[in-house]
Amino acid sequence: MLRNVYLKTLRDSRKSVLFYSIGTVALGLYVTLFYPTIRDATGFTDFLEDLPEVFQALIGDAETYTTAEGFLNAEVFSFMGPLIVSVFAIVAGTAAIAGEEESHTLDQLLANPISRTSVLLQKAGALLTGLLVLSVALGIGLVAGSKFAGFDLSITGTAQAIVSLYVFGATMGLLALSIGAATGRKGLAGGVSAGVGIVGFLLDTFLSVVEALEPARFISVFYYFNSNDVILNGINAAHLLALIGITGVAVAAAVWQFGRRDVSV
Amino acid sequence: MTELIITTGLTKFYGEHRGVIDIDLGVGEGQVFGLLGPNGAGKTTCIRLFLDLIHPTSGSATLLGLDSRADSVRIRQAVGYLPGDFITYEKLTARDLLEYFVNLRGHGMARAESLAERFDLDLTRKIGELSRGNRQKVGLVQAFMSDPRLLVLDEPTSALDPLLQQEFHRLVLEEAAAGKTLFISSHMLSEVEIICDRVGIIREGSLVAIEEIATLRERALTRVEIEFADSVSVDDFRGLDGVRDVVVSDRRLTCSVTGTVDSLIKATARHTVVKIESAQPGLEEVFLAYYNDDSEKEDSGAA
Repeated sequence: MLRNVYLKTLRDSRKSVLFYSIGTVALGLYVTLFYPTIRDATGFTDFLEDLPEVFQALIGDAETYTTAEGFLNAEVFSFMGPLIVSVFAIVAGTAAIAGEEESHTLDQLLANPISRTSVLLQKAGALLTGLLVLSVALGIGLVAGSKFAGFDLSITGTAQAIVSLYVFGATMGLLALSIGAATGRKGLAGGVSAGVGIVGFLLDTFLSVVEALEPARFISVFYYFNSNDVILNGINAAHLLALIGITGVAVAAAVWQFGRRDVSV
Repeated sequence: MTELIITTGLTKFYGEHRGVIDIDLGVGEGQVFGLLGPNGAGKTTCIRLFLDLIHPTSGSATLLGLDSRADSVRIRQAVGYLPGDFITYEKLTARDLLEYFVNLRGHGMARAESLAERFDLDLTRKIGELSRGNRQKVGLVQAFMSDPRLLVLDEPTSALDPLLQQEFHRLVLEEAAAGKTLFISSHMLSEVEIICDRVGIIREGSLVAIEEIATLRERALTRVEIEFADSVSVDDFRGLDGVRDVVVSDRRLTCSVTGTVDSLIKATARHTVVKIESAQPGLEEVFLAYYNDDSEKEDSGAA
């Protein structure tokens, strides 16, 4: 595991990846095992429909909430899922370069015959790999839970939702990694990335009912991630490409800036 | 002689702050070059520019015939580097760390193992559990383990105890004998004297002189203080070869000597001597002797 920067970074994050994966498996199991209770509760749909619009925006669509996919959309893919993957991704992203720089280990790493671009890309690769493990673990939890609970779950819908969640997590993590690589500042990288996530979430939920803010939805990462309710309606390719595009631009800018700036001792 | 390091007008500013200014330098293959200067003079800046960890504001550095900016990866492949304070992954054991860096460099562990043995380094301990001196040993091992053609060492012995310093000096002399080129920064004249052939003196970011060690030693001042049994006259010590700043008060004489102390000793021997003390010249005094500079206020940090 010490052959190169990619494997070394994975090695460093192995415990974190393990614990987060246990978390996503648990989330998948918990939500799917709980679902039959909601499905069988009489009058739940009526209750939801009577809620004010702002709560529906938060909880999820009343019409689909009692379907398996609708329930998972609300309980996994609207809040807990993106929360877990973005916390993991942002922590890994800030640690990648800015974290090494602030703990003074980057200097010695870069004294080896390896380009900064390569270091950045290998670290990005390790982040994407860790995230992949989390996402697969979530899928396993969901599918296994639906089997235990004895209901049919759309595998293609779930898979697409997980792909979308993965891309969302990658966006958050690589944004943090990019800001950290460009500036060397861990706090800034984590703060800005978390801010993008939180503001994006608010714009796409509570604030989506504020008409004046409606146009602002388009700057929300959550809009591109799941405004389409991917588990129900499938991936919106344009939205996903938008996330990938933003991430690509951020990483390219980071490669450029990381290559030209001074590294602190 | 091939020059392994050439800098041309190498200048670095950190925003407004001066790093190094207009450094012109050439270090030939096989030389042990010492960069001598007080803390904050720009030694570390110079070395970090060589390794492309920071980029010059203007001017250029060429190492092994390669440009420090354009060919930095190839340069680092052929250069061993040790910073003054070797900080690295605390959770790795020394062996894991060395293995990682060996892998990044693409060679084997054999030389790392033998160097670790030579410096009596326990490779099973985690870096974070090591004392500063032992951590610095890991740094030494990783700098030398690739058997590099050029070694760039920034204050390499500052954390080592005297015995290890001696072992390090032996290693440097062996490497030099094997034809390696070494660029070593230091604030200790005594160290530079032992291991270097040539020395550049850096002061407030500027390279103010490059000299052979032998020349510098000749010009270095020694402070001498002599206590006599009876009072002596200042006239007995005036005009002696290489002796200056003679002050006599009753039975006590103080003076500065450049070069040999022979004439002073012979003049002293005419009297009954109680005690002689001579102080190793501090860097500041070397500077003053060398430039006859009247700006004595600066760079007092020659510790």
